[in-house]
Amino acid sequence: MFGNRNDVPLDRDASSRFLPWLIAMMVYLATMSLVIALTMNKLANRWDQGLSSSLTIQIPSESSESKRSAIEKQLKLFISKIEKLDNISKVEQLNDTELNKLMEPWLGKDILLHDLPIPYLISIELDNSSAKTIDEIKALLAQDIPQASVDDHQRWLGNLLGLTKIIQIIALLVVVLVGGAAALMVILVTRMGLAIHRQVVELFHHMGAHDSYIASRFQFHALKLSIVGGLSGLLLAGITIASFSSLLGQANSAVLPTLTFSAGEWGLLLLMPLSASLIAMMTARLTVLRSLALMP
Amino acid sequence: MDFKLLVRFQDVHLRYGSGPDVLHQVNLTLAPGSFHFMVGPSGAGKSSLLRLMYLAHRPSSGRLSIFGRDVSQQDRKELTMLRRRIGIIFQDFRLLDHLTALENVALPLTITGQSLDKVRRNVSELLSWVGLADYLDAKPPTLSGGQQQRVAIARAVIARPSLLLADEPTGNLDDKIAERLLFLFEELNKRGTTIVVASHNEGLVNRFNHPVFKIVNGEVRLIRNEQNATASITTDGA
Repeated sequence: MFGNRNDVPLDRDASSRFLPWLIAMMVYLATMSLVIALTMNKLANRWDQGLSSSLTIQIPSESSESKRSAIEKQLKLFISKIEKLDNISKVEQLNDTELNKLMEPWLGKDILLHDLPIPYLISIELDNSSAKTIDEIKALLAQDIPQASVDDHQRWLGNLLGLTKIIQIIALLVVVLVGGAAALMVILVTRMGLAIHRQVVELFHHMGAHDSYIASRFQFHALKLSIVGGLSGLLLAGITIASFSSLLGQANSAVLPTLTFSAGEWGLLLLMPLSASLIAMMTARLTVLRSLALMP
Repeated sequence: MDFKLLVRFQDVHLRYGSGPDVLHQVNLTLAPGSFHFMVGPSGAGKSSLLRLMYLAHRPSSGRLSIFGRDVSQQDRKELTMLRRRIGIIFQDFRLLDHLTALENVALPLTITGQSLDKVRRNVSELLSWVGLADYLDAKPPTLSGGQQQRVAIARAVIARPSLLLADEPTGNLDDKIAERLLFLFEELNKRGTTIVVASHNEGLVNRFNHPVFKIVNGEVRLIRNEQNATASITTDGA
């Protein structure tokens, strides 16, 4: 009866009403920022793994039939040579159906490839990303089909990976800033509570209460409110993640990220309300102890 | 240092911030088991003197010893332990409105982590002793002024303090009830508690045969002593 009662009537303060909402917003922002950081990390890995071990070779089309058949012969010879190299997982020339599929997003479904000077494309996938293999392929290509160009995706992949790194850093910075803002907010609310209940705090102090006893009243109050706020924020973030996941699933795109997380990553997301609660509790405690230290 | 003295002021000055002296060169000793009145007009420094005694402030200069300990030399944790031996009755009672009478009285015990069962039993007994057995679960706003005062007294004595300080405890009471309250303090005094009562009602104080010191403009003067007095008061240069 006595031990569980919060004998400093903090529940009646205005701060008790708005602190959970503020914490909920903070946890929501922090969780979404962490989701962005995690997703960017996975997307960068996927792009890196998918593209650094693949090459696309492009040979410009020719207008005359005779030149086209000459190129096709060159291509067959080149592909047979490539297949004999080490570290090659797959070599294929893209057929009309595949080319159609590639062009569809830009030119629509009903295109007639033969009406357009569509280049020949050869897709090469390596077992492992290897500069040596890529150099060998480039050497063979220069020898057999000098007019061809190689796209090893490194130029734009480097830019993309740089961009995802920046987004990750910004997202993590937001998490840190949100944590700092939450701490400042709790300091403000605790100081407000100390000012409102100054007489009660002084009474406890004069009766011989240890500073830690008085601080515990404020810290558990902050903990209680921040758990309510934190879980609400996490729930809201969960709903947002589920909605985005569903939208991204419908898009069914290889370029867009997927919002699926491992158990460890879910654990990291669950840490957000827990961290917010611990930050709130410790901040409240330290604020009260610091304030009480000014009393004799 | 004389360890037989409960409270000893030696050339104590008190000022708040950079303001003037509120208390000026106070020299005063209280022996264990004594009963003192402190009188003086409003603003003379009675409450400030009490605040020094219940360790809400440290002296600006001079030396104050309580229970044989120089409070200027004690660290905060030690002062906390000294405070537990002091009971205080505030003029405005300072009861917590959201707690019941029982919980209010129990506060000095629960802050020291005493067992709940023991607290309930002791508090119930004490509230019965002050005539509030039927009001254990009543909250202060539902009690009369006199009942609230008895709750405040019960809270001040529940931890069996060695020193009981009362700041204008009779301020809001008629003479008959005030007199009865002082008899209650005498009862506690007979059980060994040292008592200091601050009051501006000199007529009421004169009905009791206890030492009286008066504070005027921050200076303390002994204006009456009883036979076999247990207090000695000196003023400037005395």
